[in-house]
Amino acid sequence: MWSFAKLVFLFILATIFHWAFASIFSYWGLSVNMLLAFAAAFCAILKPAFGYPAAFICGLFLDFFGTKLFGNNAFSFTVCACIVYGLSERFDFDAFFPQIVTVFGLVLLAGVLNSLLFLWFTSAVQWPGFWSLFGGAWISALFAPAVFWVVRRTLGKASVCRQV
Amino acid sequence: MLPRKKNFKKNITPSLRRRFWLPLGFLLLSFLLMILPLEGVVSSVKAVLAYVFIPQVRLAHGTAKYAENVHQTVRELLDTHRENRVLKQEIEMTKLLASQAESILDENGRLTEILRLNPAKRWKGVWAKVAYREPTQWNTVIIDKGSREGIRERSAVISMEAGKEGLAGVVVEVTENTSKVLLVRDEDFSAAVYLERGQEEGLLVGNGPRPVRIKYIPLLTQVEKGDKVFTASTSSIFPAGILVGEVSEVREDESFQTALTIHVEPLVHSASVKEVFVILENEGAS
Repeated sequence: MWSFAKLVFLFILATIFHWAFASIFSYWGLSVNMLLAFAAAFCAILKPAFGYPAAFICGLFLDFFGTKLFGNNAFSFTVCACIVYGLSERFDFDAFFPQIVTVFGLVLLAGVLNSLLFLWFTSAVQWPGFWSLFGGAWISALFAPAVFWVVRRTLGKASVCRQV
Repeated sequence: MLPRKKNFKKNITPSLRRRFWLPLGFLLLSFLLMILPLEGVVSSVKAVLAYVFIPQVRLAHGTAKYAENVHQTVRELLDTHRENRVLKQEIEMTKLLASQAESILDENGRLTEILRLNPAKRWKGVWAKVAYREPTQWNTVIIDKGSREGIRERSAVISMEAGKEGLAGVVVEVTENTSKVLLVRDEDFSAAVYLERGQEEGLLVGNGPRPVRIKYIPLLTQVEKGDKVFTASTSSIFPAGILVGEVSEVREDESFQTALTIHVEPLVHSASVKEVFVILENEGAS
């Protein structure tokens, strides 16, 4: 129960960070995706039974703001969760470098995947622009170690975490 | 071969099975949400999610705003920034009223004389700040005012750009404290407009990242690059006479040459919208 409360707290924290970062960096036209960095941290730390729903709900939160398509972010976040669980067999997510590289790659992938899903389902182009996505991915990746630290620190050795 | 198969089946542990079925289940669920029409089940799901997410959004927005206020308080100690902002807003409001009055005078004179329409009245509305801009949805913004301030769906939204007021978009969703605004460039946006030069009316439609277009302008219309485009009185949503932008290109090679396709550069750029004025009483358009 206590672990679940911590997860809810982290989710609220993630949305606050995402909101604040998206608002600040949109001034420079950058597509920062802090929620995806949090989703990656959840998947790197939590058991799949908790990591996948967490990533899905994070995606659903972003879908809530959309007007034309619903579920695309939930889809791309779930794909990203699959990738993180796949990579966790080979990468040590306690180190900064894998965290930065993974979040950078995932933000780019999610951006491209979202655009393709938009094109497929609505025939509309929803491309934030290469530099916007690239710059946003860099910013998200630079803050990834802090995000991973916060998630790990909050959850500690809770029962929802994976045994490393 | 058979014993191998048996071993393989034995090797699939419950945790492996979970790792396969769990993501597949979520992927199928999200795929299902994407293929369902937005009006039916999805809107019900969204309504349910609103109960969970809206307080969270409010909390996130409030926290971000609080952090901003702390920052401002520090600045206020230096006695500059806030005063400057308030003054700027007042100047913008004054400019808006002045240009509005000018536009209304011109419009009134012409419409009363030629079309015998009732004179447009002053716009009443509220100023709102852009509270959130989803990075992948450049043409949709969420503003920090909602139904509590009297904003309703289909309210016209204008903004100041380079000292002029221009059409910014339309309200598409309203909650108690926030509203979602569809900006001019969005593909779902459309408005009745007229060209400054010959007063021909057409339909302005957003086109995503591509230029905004005006459709249904007769082929022989005199129009040149730089001509101003205003909202027309025939629009049921927008008050007449709001500057939309300038003609950036005129094409004759589309629509089987029965009408011109005119590209318009909107005055208000999607990326630079920070503060908007939501028109609450559009008496002039009725």
